[in-house]
Amino acid sequence: MNAIVIQLLGSAVAVAAMVGIAAWARIPRPCPALDEAAAREILAVEYPDHPVGAVWLAADGAGAIARSGDLALVIGRLGDSWVSRDLPWDRALASEIRGGRVRIRTADSGAPRLDLAVSGVNPWPPEHERDLAA
Amino acid sequence: MTLDPIKPAFDPVTLAIPLFVITIVGEIILGRLRKAKAAYEPRDTATSLMMGLGSNIAGLLTGAVVIAAVVGVWQFRIFDIPMTAWWAWVAIFFLEDLTYYWFHRLSHERRFWWASHVNHHSSQHYNLATALRQTWTGGIAGTWLLWLPLALIGFPPAMIAIQKGISLVYQYWIHTEAIGKMPRWFEAVFNTPSHHRVHHARNPRYLDANYAGILIIWDKLFGTFIPETDEEPPRYGLVKNLGDFNILRVAFHEWIGIGKDLMTARSPREVLGYLFGPPGWSPDGSRETSKTLKAKWLARQEAAKEPAPPLAAE
Repeated sequence: MNAIVIQLLGSAVAVAAMVGIAAWARIPRPCPALDEAAAREILAVEYPDHPVGAVWLAADGAGAIARSGDLALVIGRLGDSWVSRDLPWDRALASEIRGGRVRIRTADSGAPRLDLAVSGVNPWPPEHERDLAA
Repeated sequence: MTLDPIKPAFDPVTLAIPLFVITIVGEIILGRLRKAKAAYEPRDTATSLMMGLGSNIAGLLTGAVVIAAVVGVWQFRIFDIPMTAWWAWVAIFFLEDLTYYWFHRLSHERRFWWASHVNHHSSQHYNLATALRQTWTGGIAGTWLLWLPLALIGFPPAMIAIQKGISLVYQYWIHTEAIGKMPRWFEAVFNTPSHHRVHHARNPRYLDANYAGILIIWDKLFGTFIPETDEEPPRYGLVKNLGDFNILRVAFHEWIGIGKDLMTARSPREVLGYLFGPPGWSPDGSRETSKTLKAKWLARQEAAKEPAPPLAAE
């Protein structure tokens, strides 16, 4: 029993050391703030069968929402990668805004918490929603 | 020489732990020095490594049941296979690897077992730390039952455990982008970083492929082999990637998803479909499975090949 505990403790120390070295190395993938072209590129990969209309960009470039018919296609940054989800456009429009962020939620159990920064320049819901119409 | 047929003389995975640490640190440093292709995101790395640690703890909880089952079945063995015979090790190498192939294929193509295995694919990174992102629920999922026939044939439990460990350790080094392709003969016979990158890819063209453990020959034999192509680099992770680095979500999200779906099931058919259908199965077909995603990808490929229709004559 002692041997198992010692092995687990040793492993935990090794895990902490390896995570520390990974943080020190600073070798994540490049994941710059989104502009419209980059957002469209990601959406084209994630939703190749969905025509994408105008794209709303989060104020900090860490996410985007695009309308495709009755759907809102949402992407958000996770670490150095992107995560996508879709939901009905009406639900996206009605999403809660708190702390300067629109909180997009979906029902699936792996669902990301997509909290996208809103600013006066690009408010959510968009002032001219028709601009985002597919 | 006699070897204990029940208790393994050594555990290849435990012995390999120092190798895991050294090579992960080595991969990070090579990535930092730009000597090798390697990307590490600290929170992703922490999740992978903590999943590996948790998997060890989970294994302790269910290990006794698994060992008891293997030993119990071995009591009814058909042959007495000696652990000291070289041919016995050759035989178990192939048979265990074949068992692994079917275990792995089942773990991808049926949701109940995918729920246990999905965590291993939940990183959007592909590095040596990803290899350690192991399941916490394998014991509950019962995939270990697939190895019982080896005990029934007569392979001693210790031999099965050692060979399973060897397979796991082999599969560690193939989780890397630092190695491009191995020599052609090696790629033809063995599972390699290139083959396994395809396995971890979420690109529709690469889904449900390359289930091999050590030998890639099983995929070629059973029609699930897809080579890595330069024209489409693998994108790693899940078809729908997880939204955070929470290890509890990584470990249990698909089980929770199954539970939610079962609450809405309206017939035994739907219960069976949600449990044992392919991941993404739904009664009305409104969700995507690997098969539908591949079909759509193929349709897009075909459409792209077709020449544009001629312009109407004025």
